[in-house]
Amino acid sequence: MVNSNTSALGILFPNSYDSLVPELVSERLMASIPFAGRYRMVDFLLSSMVNCGIDNISIVVRNNYHSLMDHLGSGREWDLTRKNGGLTIFPPYSEKTVKMYNGRVEAVASILDFLKDQKEKYVILADTNIALNIDFNAMIAEHIASGADVSIAYKEEEIPAGILAIPVEKNDLYYTLSISEDGRVNRIYINPEESGPQNLSMNIYVIEREMLMEQIKGAYARGYIYFERDILAPRLDKLHVHAYKFEGYTARISDMKSYFDENMKLLDDANLDGLFSPSPIYTKIRDDNPTRYISGSSAKNVMVADGCVIEGEIENCVLFRGVKVAKGAKVKNCVLMQDTVVEEGANIEYLITDKNVTISAGKELKGTDSFPVYVAKYRIV
Amino acid sequence: MAKEMIAMLLAGGQGSRLYALTQKLAKPAVPFGGKYRIIDFPLSNCVNSGIDTVGILTQYQPMVLNEYIGNGQPWDLDRLYGGVHVLPPYQKASGSDWYKGTANAIYQNISFIERYNPQYVIILSGDQICKQDYSDFLRFHKEKGAEFSVAVMEVPWEEASRFGLMVADENDKITEFQEKPKNPKSNLASMGIYIFNWDILKKYLIEDEADPESENDFGNNIIPNLLRDGRNMYAYHFSGYWKDVGTISSLWEANMEVLDPENSGINLFDDSWKIYSRNSGMTGHKVSADAVVENSMITDGCRINGTVKHSILFAGVKVEAGAEVEDAVVMGGTVIKKGAVVKHCIIAENVVVGENAVVGAMPTETEKGVATVGSGIYIGDNAKIGPNAMVNNNVKDGDEQW
Repeated sequence: MVNSNTSALGILFPNSYDSLVPELVSERLMASIPFAGRYRMVDFLLSSMVNCGIDNISIVVRNNYHSLMDHLGSGREWDLTRKNGGLTIFPPYSEKTVKMYNGRVEAVASILDFLKDQKEKYVILADTNIALNIDFNAMIAEHIASGADVSIAYKEEEIPAGILAIPVEKNDLYYTLSISEDGRVNRIYINPEESGPQNLSMNIYVIEREMLMEQIKGAYARGYIYFERDILAPRLDKLHVHAYKFEGYTARISDMKSYFDENMKLLDDANLDGLFSPSPIYTKIRDDNPTRYISGSSAKNVMVADGCVIEGEIENCVLFRGVKVAKGAKVKNCVLMQDTVVEEGANIEYLITDKNVTISAGKELKGTDSFPVYVAKYRIV
Repeated sequence: MAKEMIAMLLAGGQGSRLYALTQKLAKPAVPFGGKYRIIDFPLSNCVNSGIDTVGILTQYQPMVLNEYIGNGQPWDLDRLYGGVHVLPPYQKASGSDWYKGTANAIYQNISFIERYNPQYVIILSGDQICKQDYSDFLRFHKEKGAEFSVAVMEVPWEEASRFGLMVADENDKITEFQEKPKNPKSNLASMGIYIFNWDILKKYLIEDEADPESENDFGNNIIPNLLRDGRNMYAYHFSGYWKDVGTISSLWEANMEVLDPENSGINLFDDSWKIYSRNSGMTGHKVSADAVVENSMITDGCRINGTVKHSILFAGVKVEAGAEVEDAVVMGGTVIKKGAVVKHCIIAENVVVGENAVVGAMPTETEKGVATVGSGIYIGDNAKIGPNAMVNNNVKDGDEQW
């Protein structure tokens, strides 16, 4: 390739960790959860990939993917409407029995024919539960220099409470890594419960395409489900797995509380700049007009997307596109998603409203810092 | 396959009365209303009216405009057959010509129009802020059996002599045309928007080109010739918001009217008639805990730490702590540093206003000037820019310009 030296394709798993936020994914999936005022979770990985010259990206969807398809369209906003490569969405494949995949082994096995025909040398595998701005070229370079078979990105952080609380019967496993001095992973812990900072896997992998296909074929034939649990963890002596430390800003969605907190953290300029630089994050364009503040309104410490009309008072809030706050309404410590309407004199605190929610005139509704109240899509309170 | 009607958008104007704002770009590319450029209005009107083929005639400083239009995707004008095409003057086997006048610009692109074999051609102007349904205009044109129709606005009689006026009978049939007359016989001002039957337009363009005396202008030549021949000419009444933003003060005024849609009639918050534009792709704007924002429009990417009153801020404007912005139009990427005071003015894109600098002043009885700062200008710390200043060059720290 002339315009970039990247020879990698991307594969995203948009349903991973759906079980952590059942309310938010009742009509969507992790990848299409609105985040940071005008984005969806999938935008961050897609944009990071595109900004690194990766223009062949597949999304292997499992269920509830209408909202994702609506968001992505042909991929134009991410510059992924390409003759070669571009964006490919793989819906579940129904043969005699419709089968939904559980782990990555099954997911990748369903697109082996596709992978066989691609030209890129490397594959990047990732979930969409972390918003970040990552330089994949740096990760691939380190992968090559280390001589590893597989590289895993990780971040040193405490295991979030939401992840610790995942019921075992759900299929969303998580992993921490024990790493030797030369950066090689010598042990992968599955669903550990240690406290304090851990090398928490971000479930972002770099692996050669040929090797991925070979591993998946072998594992699928044996009825294996999970890439990490069944392929990597038992064979760390034979497979050279390298740990790639990511030190940039991350926003990990692990439950409703973390969803609220991660939005609020962006009110701090340092965090916002950490997530949105150096490379731009792209998203679907809505052609909203600029936001209008009418006389008598007041705004303190807020992030507001285009298309809002503010007549009341807002403080410590993240407002998505097209939110209306009417006269006399008070909105404090809230995350209001697209087209939420707060009518006259309503008074709300610690609320997460999903798309198109209406808070009726004069209503008072308050959550708390430790337990923000969630109002589902299209609800009228 | 023929198109019923295609649009030709005259976007070649230099816009010399916008001075500092049109040094590096054509008038239709001048930013407006927080996230738009002037040309977004006619283009969005076309798409919303069902017109999917638009030729944009450019001549003066076309680079910004060309880049902005691109393949036309933001306006949904990237089409397999039709879509938007930028049409600069080009070289032919027999030599090349600049566009000599509005009519000549269309004449030189007859072959472009013929590709679509349209029944009607609508001629639009790229320097007006107006939301108009051209399909209703076409319906009128067809109902009247017209060969030529012009959109007109009623203007106050005392101002009528500043406009090109159409004198029409009770059936809206045009009987006379007066260009900026001393004694107006009508108060129907031409908006410079015309619908022609293509066969008629083509005939008169060719005839006009052959006339060495002609200025090749629609108003001065084509329309008088149509009248001379007694063609079926009608005046279509338009009563919505319309503003020619050809001067600094009218551009400033139109921006301020956007802040008051309830009274001014220019409503950008209209889901049924969206104005499309190329988006900045920035995050939502931020208002800090100590900032004050009153009666303003703020676009994505702005960071506000100071005071903003009755102003329009385009994408990515930064207002630092202690800075004051009032009655101002501040275009994309401009930074207003600590303690600076910016009032009653237009500041173009990517300007830096230094610490404690003063730009413009609130109007008084005798002084109503709108200070204007061109794009990319650096205004030094403690500099002072007077209310009538037109700033084209960097201003050093502590300097004054009036």
